[in-house]
Amino acid sequence: MNAFLQEVKDALGRNDDFFVQRQTLLEQQVTIFGFATLVDVTSTLSIFIEQELSARASLMEADAFWHTLGTVEETNVRTAVSAIQQGCVILYLVDRNRMIVVDAAQKELTRSIDLPSNENILQGPSSSFIEDIDTNIGLIRKQRSAASMRVRTFATGREQRKKLTLIYDEVYAEPAMIREMIGQIEDHSDMEINHIQHVSKLMGFPKWQAIPKWNTTELPQEAVSALLKGKVVLFVDRIPFALVLPNLLWDMFALDNDRNYSLPIMVIIRSIRLVGVLLTLLAPGFYVALVAVNPEVLRIEMALSVAQSREGVPYPAIVEMLIMLVILELIIEASARLPKSIGPTLTMVGGIIIGQAVVTARLVSNLLIIILAATTIANSTVVGFQNSLSIRMFKYVIVILAALYGVLGIMAGMVLLSAYMASLRTFGVPYLNLSCKKGEMKHG
Amino acid sequence: MNLRKRIIKGLIVLTLALPLSGCWDNIDINHRVLPVVLGISKSEGIFHVFLQISEPVTDRIRIKIVSGSGRTITHAIDRLSMNMEEHVDLLHVKIVLLDKQFAMEGMSESIVDFMRARDISPKALVAICDEDLPSFFDKVKKGLESQGTILFDFFEKNAGWNPQISLTRVWQVYRSIHSFTRDVAIPIVRSGKTTAIEHIGSAVIKNGRMVARISPSETLLFNAFNGESTQGSIEVMNHASVLITANTMRNTSSMIGDTPYMKSTIRLKVVLLETRGQPTNEMIREELDKLLTERFNAMFGKIQAVKADILGLGQFYRHIIPRESLADWREEYYPRLQLEMHIETNIQNTGFLNTP
Repeated sequence: MNAFLQEVKDALGRNDDFFVQRQTLLEQQVTIFGFATLVDVTSTLSIFIEQELSARASLMEADAFWHTLGTVEETNVRTAVSAIQQGCVILYLVDRNRMIVVDAAQKELTRSIDLPSNENILQGPSSSFIEDIDTNIGLIRKQRSAASMRVRTFATGREQRKKLTLIYDEVYAEPAMIREMIGQIEDHSDMEINHIQHVSKLMGFPKWQAIPKWNTTELPQEAVSALLKGKVVLFVDRIPFALVLPNLLWDMFALDNDRNYSLPIMVIIRSIRLVGVLLTLLAPGFYVALVAVNPEVLRIEMALSVAQSREGVPYPAIVEMLIMLVILELIIEASARLPKSIGPTLTMVGGIIIGQAVVTARLVSNLLIIILAATTIANSTVVGFQNSLSIRMFKYVIVILAALYGVLGIMAGMVLLSAYMASLRTFGVPYLNLSCKKGEMKHG
Repeated sequence: MNLRKRIIKGLIVLTLALPLSGCWDNIDINHRVLPVVLGISKSEGIFHVFLQISEPVTDRIRIKIVSGSGRTITHAIDRLSMNMEEHVDLLHVKIVLLDKQFAMEGMSESIVDFMRARDISPKALVAICDEDLPSFFDKVKKGLESQGTILFDFFEKNAGWNPQISLTRVWQVYRSIHSFTRDVAIPIVRSGKTTAIEHIGSAVIKNGRMVARISPSETLLFNAFNGESTQGSIEVMNHASVLITANTMRNTSSMIGDTPYMKSTIRLKVVLLETRGQPTNEMIREELDKLLTERFNAMFGKIQAVKADILGLGQFYRHIIPRESLADWREEYYPRLQLEMHIETNIQNTGFLNTP
């Protein structure tokens, strides 16, 4: 047995799905090997045989034939192993001690393009990204076929080479930002990427960030509109959504699909989202502040009806609020975990607890339930699930400040939040910028 | 800075926030009593304080009147609070009701104390009660059973207010105590025979003391002078009644020698509501002008006689009279003031179009 073959076998042979197939092509001994779970062996072999037949028909020399299959390389165990792991097969020419890395017929291991599962789209293109990175890039190319679009692919990681693709539009994207990003990726190309936190580490973002540095989207339409705004779309293989860098405040309110409606409708939809964010942030805080600290702000009629609704409630407002908020978070988290068939049970039970039982048991006031419902509903108006998570978290800061300092605390919380948002920068782009297009960045 | 240091610092900041905030003093709204009306009377140096408290009970609101007494108002309220099961929170007091006797003796100290102690909102309305406070509250309570805010609604602009009622807040009374050139008018109420409350005119307050009284129709003119008479209706002798829909005001002031002269024009837009006989618009206009001018002059004579400048006319001379002598405005200049009042009415015989 040949040394190269032996080495490859040593590296991968302990896997039961590793196959080695001897074959004669154009009277020469070749050995074909790869993973049977990644490669469709039968059709790969039949392709080789077909090609051999056509080569015979056209009286092709053996050397030329090899070149039609792929690049003839010096044998190299490392390259061979990593190619096999990525789903190629190695065609080893025994007599000449050369190998060819061949893109084989792949097993169908990815789902087909489907409707978006985490984002809803109303009256818009509704194909969504999938796990396969090439399909995703293809979707983007399909959505926008412009000559100025650039697709840069990197491979990172030492043990496994994970594909990472950066897409931007040369006309709109700020060159300095692109240079910085590419530099960052190239400098850390040995980092392993398994999840988004790894990507974040690779891009050099701080770990403790309350607002994500990127927007995630499943929709090619949104990704392309981000490109047109000078942003960068980052794909990671096996992650079924695009990471849009940098994330700006306005992305919380604007969806490109809004532009499929007439302008006034778009403005109204976006202002509703704005109201939603403010309501989520402020409503629980105001409840605590007005009930416990500054009831004088309320009109007397309101004050009386609030007092009436809280009659007999044992807890102070902040405890009441925190208990119910936590229960609500539990419901949200649980409904994300549960299988779809059990989900409705949870909704029902949650609805009974929140809507009826707690109030009847006089544990919390009626008004609180209204506030909570409004908050939860309003929270869902935000564009992008990541953003809604941030907002969900910030409301606790405001609730606690409101419990301490009342209405003043709410203001302090908002100032704090604004200051924090103003301090954020992604590759030199401030979070509060309205645009990161080329030339508009510094004075945005 | 490494992570542990950061976390420790963060925890210190958080724990400091708790003792520094004083948040343990916060009392939830259902543990506070929210008096809407604060009544104050004074006899022989002792203050009697009445609180009208709206108390939520299961599905309605119950009215409770509690009273206490003490040498100071705060002391009286403190004693009340001590005897009540909940904390008395005066911040929701919307009306400070003063006994007439107390108002005539002078209430400036109490008003100054309100502003200083800040436990009563400076926006609270001040009113004077023309009868004994205990009996007033007793009678009003009967009318209040259904709704806790009736007394307050009476003065509320989007509820029961009428332009015949002057609206004066605690801060305005406070201002008048310290201002050289401005006094206030405070509404006078008493319990009514068929309605819960009856408005019987306004008290002219000078330096925190009630010195005269003007009737509701004079108060309407007072409000018109301040640009607040919209929707007030006026009866024109024998012929018609009209409704004011808009009014504007123009003043020109001048000083000749030591005598201040003032020309005032009130422009009223009125709508005819009722007519009797067949009066022409011209007739009604003439009569209206005459009536209002006479009425205004009568009112002005009355307040000029007591040297109380509730119209704030002194404001127009602030740029003429030097600061040193401004303090003498009420005593020296104001009694000599010659006011020439023109009332211009524009009668619209269209019916009242913007019925709400």
